[in-house]
Amino acid sequence: MKSKMFLLLFAMFVLATPTFAQDTAASARPAITITSGIAMALASGLCALGQGRALASSAEAIARNPGAGNVIRGVLILGLAFIESLALFTFVIIAAKF
Amino acid sequence: MGHHELWFTELLNNYFAAPAQAALNLAGIEAVNPARPWANFVAMEVLVALIIVVLFAVLRSALSVHHPGKLQHVFELIYNFLHQQADEIIGHHDGPKYVAFAGTLFIFVLFGNLIGVVPSFESPTMFAPVPLGCAMATFLVYNILGLKANGAGYLKHFTGPILWLTPLMLPIEIISHLARPMSLTIRLYANMVAGEKVTLVFLSLTYFLVPVVFMGLHVFVSLIQAFIFMVLTMIYIGGAVSHEEH
Repeated sequence: MKSKMFLLLFAMFVLATPTFAQDTAASARPAITITSGIAMALASGLCALGQGRALASSAEAIARNPGAGNVIRGVLILGLAFIESLALFTFVIIAAKF
Repeated sequence: MGHHELWFTELLNNYFAAPAQAALNLAGIEAVNPARPWANFVAMEVLVALIIVVLFAVLRSALSVHHPGKLQHVFELIYNFLHQQADEIIGHHDGPKYVAFAGTLFIFVLFGNLIGVVPSFESPTMFAPVPLGCAMATFLVYNILGLKANGAGYLKHFTGPILWLTPLMLPIEIISHLARPMSLTIRLYANMVAGEKVTLVFLSLTYFLVPVVFMGLHVFVSLIQAFIFMVLTMIYIGGAVSHEEH
């Protein structure tokens, strides 16, 4: 089972490498590759935390007062878009630097 | 960008290169490739505009009170939705006046987002200039509407609640207002690019049916982003035209 998992992961990495190797400009500057990966990981992780909090409290609010569901849903979608846009700013900066 | 010409761009470049050149010369811009001045996103933008014009021309000719067709039902639904949003966000009195502008943006952004799913086309909203154009239109419109509705009193929006706070609030307000078109632009085009990139990365990781899931997600994101763009436009307009009553 374990070796199967390992083989699967290995195959995934082997298949994945061509996508990263295509960018010759980026591989010439390894620091940018590393930092952009870390930056995107931080941004999307923290964005997920924020969105999770927003979603949790809005689900709670709808459960308490289903009548206000439509208003809360509108505010939720708007808020999620705002939170997400911060992660996307990171993505744009990375895309500009890459 | 510009790595590969779509068939529609090729068509425009083959037959309509001269008008584009003339327009560029008028604006004093040099095309990257003078023989083929049409870029993909401009061509796609034109195509989206054409589709919308044709669609609404068909819709207009088929309008009927007694026997509404399917198309009419769909667009009545969209119109009611826009109207309701404007009522909620801008207010019952002023709201309906601004449905035209926000609704046009909504339809254009929605079609621009969704045309990327059709094979052999790509979203014009994937390239920063197109969302930037929409965002600048929003920026100009809400400032002009604010000036029209409140006159010189509109400038009070920028000075903060108390007079002696003005030197502090003025730069903050100006920067936050200038950040609005920027955040509108980046939100839309980064979402579109990210959706496309995710599909591509999963296409290179797995086999041909798995990325379909992400294309479905991309369609959902396209709808949400068009909605967000429209709602934010309405919020900005609503904030600008509201009368200060305190």
